[in-house]
Amino acid sequence: MKAGRKKVAKKAARTKKPAKAPAPKRRAAAKAAGKRAPVQSPLGNGGPITWNFKLIAHHLLDGFGGMGEGMSIQIAPDGRRILWLAHESAPKNFTAVDVSDPRKPKVVVQTDLPQAHMRSNSLETCGNIMAVAYQTQKKGLTPAGMELFDISVPEKPRSISFFDCAGATSRGVHQLWFCDGEYVHCASGAPDFTPTHPNDDQFYRCIDVRNPSKPVEIGRWWMPGTRQGDNVRPPPRHPLDKGHRAHNTNVYPQRGDRCYLAYIDGGMFILDISDKANPKRISQWTNSPPYTGFTHTVVPLFDRGLMLVTDESTENNAKDWPKLIWVLDAREESNLVPIATCPLPDHKAFAAKGRFGAHNIHENVPLPTAWQSDQIVLGTFFNGGLRAYDISNPYQPQQVGVFVPPAPPMAPTGTIQLNDVFVDEREIVYTVDRHVGGLYILEMDF
Amino acid sequence: MLDLFPSREAGRFGRRLKRARGAKIPVSVLTGFLGAGKTTLLRRFLAKPEGEGTAVVINEFGSVGIDDALMRASSDDVTLLGNGCLCCNTRSDLQNALRNLVAERAQGRLPQFRRIVIETSGLADPGPILQTFATDRALGSEFHVEVVLAVVDAVGGLDTLAWSAEARKQVILADRLVVTKSDLAEPQAVEQLARRLRALNPRAAVHSAVDGDLDPRFMLESDAPPGAAARTGFVAEAEHSDGILSFVLTEDAPLPWDAFARAMETLIALRGGDLLRVKGLLNVAGCRGPVVVHAVQHLAHPPVELAAWPDRNRTSRLVFITRGITERHVRDLFASVRALTGGSAVTQSS
Repeated sequence: MKAGRKKVAKKAARTKKPAKAPAPKRRAAAKAAGKRAPVQSPLGNGGPITWNFKLIAHHLLDGFGGMGEGMSIQIAPDGRRILWLAHESAPKNFTAVDVSDPRKPKVVVQTDLPQAHMRSNSLETCGNIMAVAYQTQKKGLTPAGMELFDISVPEKPRSISFFDCAGATSRGVHQLWFCDGEYVHCASGAPDFTPTHPNDDQFYRCIDVRNPSKPVEIGRWWMPGTRQGDNVRPPPRHPLDKGHRAHNTNVYPQRGDRCYLAYIDGGMFILDISDKANPKRISQWTNSPPYTGFTHTVVPLFDRGLMLVTDESTENNAKDWPKLIWVLDAREESNLVPIATCPLPDHKAFAAKGRFGAHNIHENVPLPTAWQSDQIVLGTFFNGGLRAYDISNPYQPQQVGVFVPPAPPMAPTGTIQLNDVFVDEREIVYTVDRHVGGLYILEMDF
Repeated sequence: MLDLFPSREAGRFGRRLKRARGAKIPVSVLTGFLGAGKTTLLRRFLAKPEGEGTAVVINEFGSVGIDDALMRASSDDVTLLGNGCLCCNTRSDLQNALRNLVAERAQGRLPQFRRIVIETSGLADPGPILQTFATDRALGSEFHVEVVLAVVDAVGGLDTLAWSAEARKQVILADRLVVTKSDLAEPQAVEQLARRLRALNPRAAVHSAVDGDLDPRFMLESDAPPGAAARTGFVAEAEHSDGILSFVLTEDAPLPWDAFARAMETLIALRGGDLLRVKGLLNVAGCRGPVVVHAVQHLAHPPVELAAWPDRNRTSRLVFITRGITERHVRDLFASVRALTGGSAVTQSS
């Protein structure tokens, strides 16, 4: 654990180019395209389109524009607004972009991962502390876990601690949630957790970081039947078998005693975490079967008694279509009722290249730097782009905005693959491409 | 819906919008008498970058409104133009044409057009077109009439306005007026026409276009673009022929919505057929942003609250274009409703 901590801390704080896992294609792409790539006019369904959004800036992130699903805004001590972004894969760890002027984004730091076999994928900031998830490609590799950084000086992120989750059956942390400065809620494996099926390795863990130099696990929960020794049968496998394992682990101050837990092939759960040492299941909802699993995110809309649940599309060529954003009537948390989905265009127009379908949505992260809305849902749909839905009538969500940029230069799938979205309190929208396209900054116009 | 799933973010009229059209497809209605220069104006607009992604609907019996040179492929009903635009030459049912455009776009059979320009017949009264969007629920939920633009030519326009009731109606109902061929007319005649237009429609901004060259924003945006001729300001009542009247009511104090709605309901019930167009921006008590109201004859669009006021002016402004209903009638009705409900209502004239 000690060795891992030092290694990550030392390497991650570097800003020079990585020794391993270079990405010449991405550099070439950046060079070929320059800093900005134009957005073309609408050409038809499945093609580029900008409808009720205004693109105000595009940044290829210095040739490393393959971004994960960690997006968080810090107001730095000197007043700058810094957008922190996790990379989808090696060689880069995270990138900080000064978006004080959203029309002129500037990269202030870009860090390297210590190993090519790992990814950061997810991060959150709270004040001047940032938590970053580390997941390895295979079980048993290191470093796998979660690292805390002091980002008081954005140009020089300083490692505070590393929480080691590596183990023979663990790939570490895939996703984390950190908004209150006290607890990191994450989807993680652990050295003492042996799953009944190898794909079920990550579960819900609550890490106390009130002393950020010494993070301590204080609670965990897993879907019954997924750990060896459980007294219930393992859950049946889905056809695509992406695992019964945790994904997003959202906790909001409006209900600090609840965790809204997406569990991939296990659907979603509401947990009672009033006793963080002993989380208890309140309810579960799943759309699969007949759908194909991979529940990704759960966002409660507290005032309205509604809940948004997203799938993630993981297969190219729309083979796992339909992957959707679901609207649930959650007025009774023990009896969740699906009432609508956010409509998508016909998948055939998008089936030629890459993934098509739901993934991340803006999650109303409970921080002053995040936009809060229970009327509009913004989601990324890979080659379906960024889409905004008006859910003022939750029985009939209506699409009110679309942004599908053209394929970035050298895109490996030959198409855009928008991966994540975040909206700041100024209502500026940030969305990122999964492979090469980097950061797109937009205004909502509806 | 707010009863079942309440929201602190939403206002009385639902989600607050950034602009009156929200996410609906903007529609510009281009009207003007035969030979006024509508097609020239449209062709020049389509050739500009701002014209990209425009669907043109020509609502004209038997006409070929767009030059063949602009066309690059065609089917029975819809013609694809250059610049990502398309043209639908509808000979009968405007509603069907508009519905088909949306349906075929959703099916991927048509390009992702961003706006629609309806070029009306030179002889058309634009009133029924505006009414179409108010009466057809499907169209009303998809489209928003952003601008009604009337084209008048400087050479023959004055004469046409003298003898044609339709031409006068086009000018009276327009949000903006474009004077064409001013380079071919005597300056005196142009000035005379301008005076006549101001008398017919004192609210509309007037712009001149030579050979169809017009700031493209004039065709698109609901607010007059910078550089365009300024609006001449509100007047209490404009003189029209044909018994058509226009006037503006204003109110400085915030309006209680119930009193306003009841007054409008009464007016519509009594004389809806004579309310050619009612448009307003209201300061409604309890609402953060201005509330946009719009009615055509018997039908009122659902009110929409905007997220913010466009400027510091918080005065409610309600424009009436009526047939035979005077400002005094309306003012007295609003005052009566105010007295009976104990609330305020739009009563002042400006």
